[in-house]
Amino acid sequence: MGAFYFVRRAIENMKETGLTHLLSMGTIATSFFLFSSFLLLSINFGTFLETWEKKVQIILYLKDGVGEKRALQLKRELQKREGIKEVRYISKRKAMESFKRDLAGYGGVLEGLKEEIFPASLEIKLGEAFRTPERIRALAARLKKIKEAEEVQYGGIWLERLSLFLYILRWGAWILGAILVIIVLSVTANTIRLTLYNKREEIEIMRLVGATEAFVKFPFYLAGGLQGLLGAGGSLLLLFFLFHLFSLKISPYLSIYFGQLRLSFLPPDLIAEVLGVGVASGLMGGILSLRKAAGI
Amino acid sequence: MIQFFQVYKTYPGNIEALADISFKIEKGEFVFITGPSGAGKTTLLKLIIRAERPDRGEILVKGRNVTRLKNSQIPFLRRGVGFVFQDFKLLNHKTVYENISLVLEALGYKKREIPKRVRQILRVVGLEERVVKQTPFKLSGGEQQRVAIARALVNTPSILLADEPTGNLDPGLTVEIMDLLEKVNYLGTTVVVATHDTNLVARYKKRALPLYKGRLVG
Repeated sequence: MGAFYFVRRAIENMKETGLTHLLSMGTIATSFFLFSSFLLLSINFGTFLETWEKKVQIILYLKDGVGEKRALQLKRELQKREGIKEVRYISKRKAMESFKRDLAGYGGVLEGLKEEIFPASLEIKLGEAFRTPERIRALAARLKKIKEAEEVQYGGIWLERLSLFLYILRWGAWILGAILVIIVLSVTANTIRLTLYNKREEIEIMRLVGATEAFVKFPFYLAGGLQGLLGAGGSLLLLFFLFHLFSLKISPYLSIYFGQLRLSFLPPDLIAEVLGVGVASGLMGGILSLRKAAGI
Repeated sequence: MIQFFQVYKTYPGNIEALADISFKIEKGEFVFITGPSGAGKTTLLKLIIRAERPDRGEILVKGRNVTRLKNSQIPFLRRGVGFVFQDFKLLNHKTVYENISLVLEALGYKKREIPKRVRQILRVVGLEERVVKQTPFKLSGGEQQRVAIARALVNTPSILLADEPTGNLDPGLTVEIMDLLEKVNYLGTTVVVATHDTNLVARYKKRALPLYKGRLVG
């Protein structure tokens, strides 16, 4: 008898306790939906954070007395430091022009502003490896020690908070994943046990006529695996559908605020892993139920 | 074909099912195991197919010591021994064909070989083609027992064990089933029938192993 025969028997077994199997697949699908949603959120949030990390820069405001020559010398010195990708000198004049450009609509209010009131600064862009909150903070602390520095500003605080949020999200996904495996195991084990109970006469007859234990048990293992696969697959389909709807609505707003940032669905390898977890935990549920119901 | 050497079996609660059982059944024989309810007939049959294990003694079936078989070898012992029950043990949600073909599927027969074998055995037990697609509960008691015998014989075992095969049947059907078992025996199968019906034993004039309270008497 080939593999197809066992699949047919597994499906027949599932059909005989159809409602129970449907209900347990629904429970599995709900659990997987939650897990996959967390994964999807953490992936997209991670991308969002990466995009913003690229834009992070440190602004070193220079003290009033620091002349342009010294500022340019500082620029050259800083450019040589590890982790710094690019340094741009913004003179008092440039700072004023930029301010006026940004607030062009307020015309009259801006009249009479003098460049002296604007601080000159150095805009420091960081290398990729140095865009983590810890490294930004460490670099900012070192820059503060430069005697020409009046103040050092960086967008690290919100980045740190968002990173923490992403960290919680990722851990949440894994904790949820662990809970999910337990749910799938127990739901599958109970459903298969019920099927076993319904099939006890057939199993008894099979054993009496000389069917091997593998022949008797394999369809039940398979039913467990199938249940996990269908539950996980169903949840991914639902998630994909909802994701598609959501991204259609939200994409125009994203492009306004975040430019190139695009939402993405779970990558194929992660989809395969989710399905794999579904099959493996369903299979384990089947094995557990058959161990507990060894007398049948 | 079947040999028992000083076999003892006690169930939990110190219930003695069989004690000091020794006998030999030759190849091609037709033997009755007789005795009232609780005499140990079913236990004796179960010991032959290793559905039970003796506490003491040795049992040989077709030259194999079944008391020392590993669990993984039990299916292969059972493939050579057909079993018929008093309550038929047919699967009522499956058709007659499916009830019989299930055995062949379980034993790994090729798909194209199965229909031929099922039809062949139905002819041997005297069932008409029309019953093939019916479910067992639509059949008479005699027909159901014929299906059960067909299921036990479909893979041509050399031994057929029947536990009170006529216990649920009226006298007319009892004769039909016993005639069928005699026919099976005539075709070469060793047949062992456990029964409490002394009339049956008297009528068929076969060797009998009488059991009483777990011991062979006479």
